[in-house]
Amino acid sequence: MAIAEINKVQIIGNANIKMDVFSSLQEEGIIQIEKTDYDALGLNSPSSEDTKLDHRLFQLSHTIDFLSQGEKKGLAEKILMKKPKLSKPERKKIIKSNYTPIIEKAESLEGEKNDIISSNKYLRKEKALLKPFKNLDIPIKLVQLNGYTEFRLGTIPLSEVENLRKIQEEEELWFSVIQQGKREVFLLIIYLREKKEAFEESFKKISYIPYYFTESTIKRAGKSDTVTDIMRKIDEEIKQGENKVIQLDKEARELGLMHKEKLMLVYDGLLNERNKQRFSQLAGETKSIFYLEGWIQIKDIKRLKAKLKPYSESIEYFFRSPLPDETPPVVLENPSVIKPFEIVTKLYGLPAKGSLEPTIYFAPFFFVFLGLTVSEAGYGLLVTILSLLYIKIAKPRGGLRNFLILFAIVGVSNVIIGTMVGGWFGFPIPKLMVLDPLADPVPFLILSLVLGFIQVWFGTFLKMISYIKNKKYLDAFFVQGGWLILLPSLVLYLLLKKPVWGFMALAGASGIVFFASPSRNPISRFFGGLYKLYDISRYLADVLSYSRLLALGLATTVIAMVVNTLCQAALGIPWVGWLFAALIFIGGHIFNLAISFLGGFVHSMRLQFVEFFGKFYELGGQPFEPFELENKYTELI
Amino acid sequence: MELGLALAILGSAFAVIFGGIGSAIGIGLVGQASSGVMSEDPEKFGSLLILVALPGTQGIYGFLSAFLVILKLGLIGETVVTLTTFQGLQIFMACLPIAFTGLISGIHQGKVCASGVYMVAKQPKDMMKPVILAALVETYAVLGLLITIILLNGIQL
Repeated sequence: MAIAEINKVQIIGNANIKMDVFSSLQEEGIIQIEKTDYDALGLNSPSSEDTKLDHRLFQLSHTIDFLSQGEKKGLAEKILMKKPKLSKPERKKIIKSNYTPIIEKAESLEGEKNDIISSNKYLRKEKALLKPFKNLDIPIKLVQLNGYTEFRLGTIPLSEVENLRKIQEEEELWFSVIQQGKREVFLLIIYLREKKEAFEESFKKISYIPYYFTESTIKRAGKSDTVTDIMRKIDEEIKQGENKVIQLDKEARELGLMHKEKLMLVYDGLLNERNKQRFSQLAGETKSIFYLEGWIQIKDIKRLKAKLKPYSESIEYFFRSPLPDETPPVVLENPSVIKPFEIVTKLYGLPAKGSLEPTIYFAPFFFVFLGLTVSEAGYGLLVTILSLLYIKIAKPRGGLRNFLILFAIVGVSNVIIGTMVGGWFGFPIPKLMVLDPLADPVPFLILSLVLGFIQVWFGTFLKMISYIKNKKYLDAFFVQGGWLILLPSLVLYLLLKKPVWGFMALAGASGIVFFASPSRNPISRFFGGLYKLYDISRYLADVLSYSRLLALGLATTVIAMVVNTLCQAALGIPWVGWLFAALIFIGGHIFNLAISFLGGFVHSMRLQFVEFFGKFYELGGQPFEPFELENKYTELI
Repeated sequence: MELGLALAILGSAFAVIFGGIGSAIGIGLVGQASSGVMSEDPEKFGSLLILVALPGTQGIYGFLSAFLVILKLGLIGETVVTLTTFQGLQIFMACLPIAFTGLISGIHQGKVCASGVYMVAKQPKDMMKPVILAALVETYAVLGLLITIILLNGIQL
């Protein structure tokens, strides 16, 4: 019962109302549309998709991102996630509104900003190139001069300076060191133009690397500007650019404040238009009709009929249950207390066709296990209150909401079980405690193993049920039934040593020995069955695995006590002791809360997935994904 | 100081040291992997943090075992329990399960989590699956802790 019943729906209608029907279906969101088998039905596939909308959506989301830059969001806003609201009638209006000017304006702002940023980057590079020659105190234009003398700038390695001196002594050349780096020196060299070729030869020997001013530096230089002047000019230009960027950002912010919300609304409106087009591609058509098929939950059929009533003149629909070779998508259906636990099932994977839906079976175990693994009533209360407050204030939807409800539920479990076996923020209340695992862990260990035994046995029982459902009676009654008798009677025999339990165990085992092996040869059947008895080691390992409930529960309690002990020690510090103690108390308990809930969830889930689901659960269902309104930036109301 | 007390303290030191080394190496592995993923996709910080934190439990288990020893010896209170050499040796040995399971499982859990980080990078929706896989490795540290606690509890002083 926990898997909702799903029917196939087929709709045939007049071609001219096709998009209207798709709109209605999208608003209702109750059908998962399947691809039509065009060939088998002799229908045409619709003409290919229009990509204009995709381009529009990309433009819009890009603009929204640009306008959101530099937006400061308070922590409260982030947590509460307030979104603009969009109602159905508004949706149709908004996508027709004229938003192109806003996009164009934003694009031009962004273009200008990017230009400035890249030109500033270039300016900085230019400045860095000039830097070694900033001590050159002759005007740049002079270096460019074409007269009888040649002005050359460049670098040579530090070690070659002596050689250059030698050249200077022999020939008519003058040089000056502008700046000395770690390994090289930056030079100004002046010589007669007519000797140029000879000098160039000798320069090569001393590894001279010439330096030239860039085109834009020369352009920028006035008649008497030195390198420092140019660097100052560049600085000014960069500064101007930066100011302009700040101003552009401000403009963008203002534009965002005014129009961003509208763009978000348009985006979500168009997104749904795009989805509608995309899904309408799955339908088949002829010149005058369209045909679509999909899956629908039986309980939604009424809603579908009501929704399609306006088109009843030109539409026809049929429902039928899925054929044996069809696998309908899976919707889990549980009472509202159990519903939040579906998260755990979905995490593992949905049940295959014909498998049991496990949520309702493991939920009570999960509830108890989380209480045992965390076993801290104070943390439980805190988690429950915080989750409920968050649900009340921020009103989250979908998965997050279910997750928070699950948190609130397991918080309650901790308040109950924590009081009985743990404590309140590391302080046990001995009067209310049933077991004190710290004083004597053995009863708690036994409790964990008993719980484990119950769940493993129950898992085997569910396997029997699912065999009965699939009409495999031999496996159900003799093999699984055998285990169901063997396991408890073996335990009782070992504990009580009464022969009656021993005989029971043998009876159970014989069922397994004679029926577990599928072989027809009686000898190999017997030994195959005997070998199957070896599975008892697996059952043993499974039950022992539940001992983690004790270890994790103890860990929480002990760390909470450590925090309190440290607090007490801190109180001994004169004057500020209480402050340290308060900080250690709050920080320590928050830390412990986080790691014990993480550990508690993870290990409780593992017990379900490995030890419990392993007994009976079959994976393989596909989730039901109805064709519905989607929203990225807004809240649809 | 008696040799017995020294041995008991050595035991608690072993629990913290080896558990801590295991966790530090494990978290180190996952941390590096997730920094790599976050350099491409900074938004994933939240979902990766859980994977990074997971191999941290071994260090905590070692720490809490050591703390149980400290409580048992009365090192925090005013009177320190006097131990015979053999009692000290018992406590030392009781600390070994968590010390070694913590060391090895911490490192290997780190490896599982690190590959889980790559998985989350490609399949953000499957965040919990690598977490469960990592829990399979942690089981053995939990069992080590369990035996350490039960042994410590059983030693008569």
